[in-house]
Amino acid sequence: MSEEHVRERTSPAWGFAILAVTVVVGFVTVLAASAGTARQWLATAFLAAGAVAVLAYLAFAYLPERRARQRAERVSQQVAGWERELVAGLVELQAGDLVKAPEQVRHLPERLAGAFSAATRALGGLIQQIQSSSTDVAAAGNAVHATASELASGSSEQAAAVVQITATMEELARTAAQIAGNAASQADLAAHAEQTGETGVAAVEEALGGLEEVQKRISAIAARADTLGTRSKEIYRVLDLITEIAQETHILSLNAAIEAAAAGEHGRRFGVVADEVRRLAQRSQESVDSVRNLLEEFSSSIRATVVATEEGGKEASRGLERARAAANAIDALRSALADTARTAKETSLATEQQRTASDQVVLTAKEVSQVIQRMAEGLKHFSGTAERLNQLALSIQLLTQSFRIDAARSLKHLCEHWATELGGRGGQWEMAESQLAELVARHPFVEMAFLADAHGVMAAFSVNREWTGGRSAGSVTVGMNMHDRPWYQTVMREGRPILTPLYDSLLTGDRCFSVAAPIRDPSGAHLGVLGFDVNARSWTKI
Amino acid sequence: MLYPLLMTSASGEGGIRCLLVRAGEYLCALPLNQVRRVVATLTTHPLPGAAPELLGLAEFAGEALPVLDLACLVNAPAGAASGQPVTVVVWAGPPAERELVGLAADEALAIVELPLHALTETRLGLVSGEALQAGRPVRVLNLEHLGAT
Repeated sequence: MSEEHVRERTSPAWGFAILAVTVVVGFVTVLAASAGTARQWLATAFLAAGAVAVLAYLAFAYLPERRARQRAERVSQQVAGWERELVAGLVELQAGDLVKAPEQVRHLPERLAGAFSAATRALGGLIQQIQSSSTDVAAAGNAVHATASELASGSSEQAAAVVQITATMEELARTAAQIAGNAASQADLAAHAEQTGETGVAAVEEALGGLEEVQKRISAIAARADTLGTRSKEIYRVLDLITEIAQETHILSLNAAIEAAAAGEHGRRFGVVADEVRRLAQRSQESVDSVRNLLEEFSSSIRATVVATEEGGKEASRGLERARAAANAIDALRSALADTARTAKETSLATEQQRTASDQVVLTAKEVSQVIQRMAEGLKHFSGTAERLNQLALSIQLLTQSFRIDAARSLKHLCEHWATELGGRGGQWEMAESQLAELVARHPFVEMAFLADAHGVMAAFSVNREWTGGRSAGSVTVGMNMHDRPWYQTVMREGRPILTPLYDSLLTGDRCFSVAAPIRDPSGAHLGVLGFDVNARSWTKI
Repeated sequence: MLYPLLMTSASGEGGIRCLLVRAGEYLCALPLNQVRRVVATLTTHPLPGAAPELLGLAEFAGEALPVLDLACLVNAPAGAASGQPVTVVVWAGPPAERELVGLAADEALAIVELPLHALTETRLGLVSGEALQAGRPVRVLNLEHLGAT
């Protein structure tokens, strides 16, 4: 409010002050006149003062008040105009049109309009920031969702792997236990075999002693057999001597018999003696022959004995060597068995430790499996949260898109822009389809753009085939009646861009929402409605 | 008189006492009254150009003694080499001209008495007959004939 207005509002106070002073002076004068103390000049003065007071009132109170009232009326009218503009601007704000709202208040005082515009710009900036933030949130949510899904999938695979590892480790533990048992049995067997080996070594050593004794005995037998052979030769010489004696005796007996025969009757007795001598010599010879035969057999036996003892000695030597080799082999085997027993014990101990470690690994793996399952559940919950965050970001985006701001990311503004472009055709929609195709091509988040004329009939449309997988628009055809569609009704009723809630697209089956704006010619005549469907899966590309 | 010596046998039972020797595979009976001595084989000294059956001369009782190979005389196949070879010193030739001759035999076996009924005359010559002794044929020699040859 200006200083002039303040000064004008103080003028009536001055008038009332003069009147009050006049009344007080007049009341005092009347009281003095009634008391008889007043004089004539006082009445005159009173009248003069009254006149002055009237004049003063007119000059300082009435006339300024009148001017002030007139100014107030003009101000009131101006404020009413400002109020209307402000209300209109606020109505546009209420409708979310931050582009038209500043236009509605352009006649407001500069500071007010500036403040309104600044507030609108700030609101627009806030909306853009919210849009950007919602996009970032959605992107982060998508990333989190993707990561959570990937982690959940990975966790499931990990859980499966851990289950497999657990099963493998359990099998390994069982195998280790079996190996431990086998190793223990092997150790026992090896220890028993070692003891047997020691016994075998002792037995072989004893056998070695026996073989050495046998070899000695055989050597002794061979020596004795050799002695017997020598003695046999002596016996042969004796036998030869006896044989020679017997033969000589035989010859002698024959000669005696011859002489006895020559002696005739006198030699008969001598002949008998000679015959007995001959018989004796013959028996001697027979005995010698018998002894010789026996001696031959005895010599043969001795020779066989010598050969056998020699063979026995050789065999005993070979047996001795074999026994020594066997003793060495058994000793080596005993050492190997001792090593085997020690190794088997170590193996048993190691496999027992391995089984214990496997059991611990199995327990740990089960705990890990439980942790992974809990983590997978948490990741699923996390994924759901990310999905909800994405939905929330989309809701925020839809809320921000309910505002029309002068920004490229404002869908209402975008729709209004393309509607203005189409409005330049003056209702001739033959070439509108190419313009719609350009709209679809330039904005990949748009599933389909469509145009309904002033009667609500589909005049043109264009489909983003990347969303339909190369299919056409299906049931959508030019000439369809769109008059009863809510978006058409709303746009026609409000005459401004609108944003629909989310719904399921008939074209793709995805969640989507539509943006529609009226098409007007440059004179403001209504020509139709432009709309496009935005796929909710790509709203972050807005 | 085929067997004049047989008639004068010591046994007087119609038999002949002989010295049974082995010459090769043959058994030969030498009439005991014509046998002078049996000695171990004498060392003979061959005579050049002598007959095959004459082994040579040996020394006997200080005199030279011709020694004949009995097996060769009776044409006996070679027999076993066992036994003690002997030289039988016999009276050879007719009684009036008899002389000592050595017969080299493979073995002097025994004094036997061959019964006359068991003798069979074979031929006139050194082997005058044959008999069986213990189932084996024995050639009875006529030593007088030896002196004649």
